[in-house]
Amino acid sequence: MKLFLYVLTQVCITLVSVCGIYILTGLTGMFSLGSAAFMAIGAYVSGLLVLKAGLNMYAAFAAAIIFSVGIGYVIGFPIVRLRRDYISLVTLGFGESIAQLILLLSQFTGGAFGLIGVPRRVNVWFTLISAVIVIAITAFFKTSKFGRQCIAVKSDELAAQAMGINASRVKMTAFLMSCALTSFAGCLYAFYVGYVGPTDFGWKKSADWVIMVFFGGVNSLTGSIFGGAFLTFLPQYMQALNKYRYIVYAVLVLIILNFKPNGVFGEWELSPRNLKRLFSPKKNRREDV
Amino acid sequence: MALLEIRHIYKNFGGLRAIDDFSLEANAGEIHGIIGPNGAGKTTIFNTITGVYHPDQGEVWLDGNNITKLPQYKITHMGIGRTFQNIRIFKGLTVEENVMCAFDPQSKYSIIGGILPTPNRIREERRGRELTRQYLDVVGMLGYKDEKPENLSYGNQRKVEIARALICKPKVLLLDEPAAGLTPTEVSELTDLIRKISADFGFAILLIEHRLDLVMSISDTIHVQNFGKTIASGTAKEVQNDPAVIEAYLGAEE
Amino acid sequence: MSLQILLNGISTGAVYSLIAIGFALVFNILKFSNFSHGATMTASAFIAYFLVASKGWGLAPTLLCSALSGAIIGLIGEFIGFRRILLNHSAPTYFFVSSITLGTLYEGLVTLKTGTNFYVYPNFFDVATVKIFDAVVSKENIIILAISAVALIILAFIIQKTSIGRQIRAVSFDRDTAKLMGINSTLIIQVVFAISGFFGGLAGCFLGIKFTLTSTLGSLVVKGFIASVIGGLGSLTGAVIGAMLLGIMEALFLSLWGSGWATIASFALMLVFLLVRPQGIAGSNVQEKA
Repeated sequence: MKLFLYVLTQVCITLVSVCGIYILTGLTGMFSLGSAAFMAIGAYVSGLLVLKAGLNMYAAFAAAIIFSVGIGYVIGFPIVRLRRDYISLVTLGFGESIAQLILLLSQFTGGAFGLIGVPRRVNVWFTLISAVIVIAITAFFKTSKFGRQCIAVKSDELAAQAMGINASRVKMTAFLMSCALTSFAGCLYAFYVGYVGPTDFGWKKSADWVIMVFFGGVNSLTGSIFGGAFLTFLPQYMQALNKYRYIVYAVLVLIILNFKPNGVFGEWELSPRNLKRLFSPKKNRREDV
Repeated sequence: MALLEIRHIYKNFGGLRAIDDFSLEANAGEIHGIIGPNGAGKTTIFNTITGVYHPDQGEVWLDGNNITKLPQYKITHMGIGRTFQNIRIFKGLTVEENVMCAFDPQSKYSIIGGILPTPNRIREERRGRELTRQYLDVVGMLGYKDEKPENLSYGNQRKVEIARALICKPKVLLLDEPAAGLTPTEVSELTDLIRKISADFGFAILLIEHRLDLVMSISDTIHVQNFGKTIASGTAKEVQNDPAVIEAYLGAEE
Repeated sequence: MSLQILLNGISTGAVYSLIAIGFALVFNILKFSNFSHGATMTASAFIAYFLVASKGWGLAPTLLCSALSGAIIGLIGEFIGFRRILLNHSAPTYFFVSSITLGTLYEGLVTLKTGTNFYVYPNFFDVATVKIFDAVVSKENIIILAISAVALIILAFIIQKTSIGRQIRAVSFDRDTAKLMGINSTLIIQVVFAISGFFGGLAGCFLGIKFTLTSTLGSLVVKGFIASVIGGLGSLTGAVIGAMLLGIMEALFLSLWGSGWATIASFALMLVFLLVRPQGIAGSNVQEKA
């Protein structure tokens, strides 16, 4: 049971960031290999504000998220006008720089030893509720005008602009949303684990999230959440597997990319209407489940 | 001053003169056909008007405003809507959402409404959905609103594209080869649709088309392009008898 | 700037240009950023370490082994990661995810063998430094510079003057038309992946010599990316110019502020470049067709 609660917390924290990646990658078609750096910013900034400035935890969370969004704006400003390739290249460089910065600012961050002694005030219920709220927010975002414009930009940027959509702004919105969510995941992480290490946030972690989103289905929030939950649960329960974790992930995703490029769920979303359609065999059932 | 005024625009790509001094004046209610062989720079004219590229020289004025250097999306806001030669429908959105997302830039709710069901959002979404359905009805596609557009026939995809352009509330509508790849029945449906929206909405229409029968029958003025230059313009009759046009289409007599 | 810094910078720039070239070749032909390139470098550097260098066979065999391993990994990657996606005409995003996944896979396999241990190539040079005017330059830097230059010149010759090079350019320009002209584009793409991997292998080995061998060596690929962006995404000449510039700037930053800040400064340099000249030095701009 204890293991289950631990794993559940891990899953919830992962899901918060996976939602951020879903907005960025699933909806808008941009790839960030520096998302984990925003998680690091969230974790360090909130942790430091509580430890060194004695701020209230919730205020620290809010400050960390606002700070991340601000940094995201600076990074995003030059790149949203350009081809979408640039965001991956620039964010990768950003991630490396943040990792260096954490080491350099060791009098604040604890350098290679990490930030020790963050109060462990986030429990499993807190993360669970947070995850549910974040998933709801993401679902609302998807069905809003923002979500539609994101999908339009992903599908055809030029045509989207011809329809009056300000593509740069849409890309910026999606990028900042994902910055906010991943840094919130970082806050949760810091206050759940009680420790923030400088090596926890490399590009591999960002790549992991992208892989989760693609595993479940890049066009489906349901799929992304399934991917995030499944690929977090799996290695925790198969300790033998943990060593081979990245290899197993990679092979799974390669198989999916080659043979079922839309992921496990395709475009299918969990909604009352779709469920009804799924369980009533008379009406023509959709193939894309 | 005319509704749309294109004043002596030029556009080069490297050494290639894609547009070599093109001018046009269009008023509300008029249909202008632009014809010419492949590579005559017709689509480039559209791309230059809509801001995909900016002209090297010359200006584009819409309703008294100089829109030459505006970014693409702002030109659309100013009142130019378009469709594409090779259909560019958004994948991943239903027919209804495709049209609605062209309304979204006008939809007035903030990011708070983007993540929470605020009253403002609900009201604006309803307004957008009603408008969308109205325009889908205009093009006769309301029955297909929940379909994925990529599963529709070419002709129906064109109609969705037209509805998507209409919801941008254009003053000038640019149709780039709307009849390409359509069956004869679809072409005649499309011709009726273009006539109908021209009469109902009273905007100016610019039409690139290869099917001369279609262009000749619905255009008030026809501009014939060849190698970036306008070689003739006038009514269908005038253009048909112009020796330069005959030469461009049939080749010079030896 | 002293001669010393300049020479160090050029030598580092040479390795960066190998990385950037390997990356730019694939970008050019398939129009996506190949993120498995870093892990390809790591994997080939380690293969060369275990198969050749640890047996004390010297520099040349090690380099060759690393480069060839890179080429083979490139071919395998093309086959398991990109072939089907290409044939399915999937969106460019799939190439991207596939490349990240391949990167994770290679790095995972390397980690399986090495863990988080450090490895060091044996010392290939008996005399460590040479003196050029008043600058003391390590011999390895000179050798690295020389070999990189030769490799780049040979590549330029292949691309510009040979039939295979013309075919590569044709496929990069327009894959479908090239196919219609009778070019076997699948074969050309394989060749490009092999060349890209070859350069990745060379770069991996050099990085291993300059620094230490770890399973995360490949993260230095980011330097190649930055160089490509500065030089102009998709331009081979730009990649080399960008890499040289980055190498020299970094040597300068290094001498001023130390290695950690140098990384951050080169990142900031890239951001500034994107603001003022997003098309890069070479100015190639990939424009979408309407």
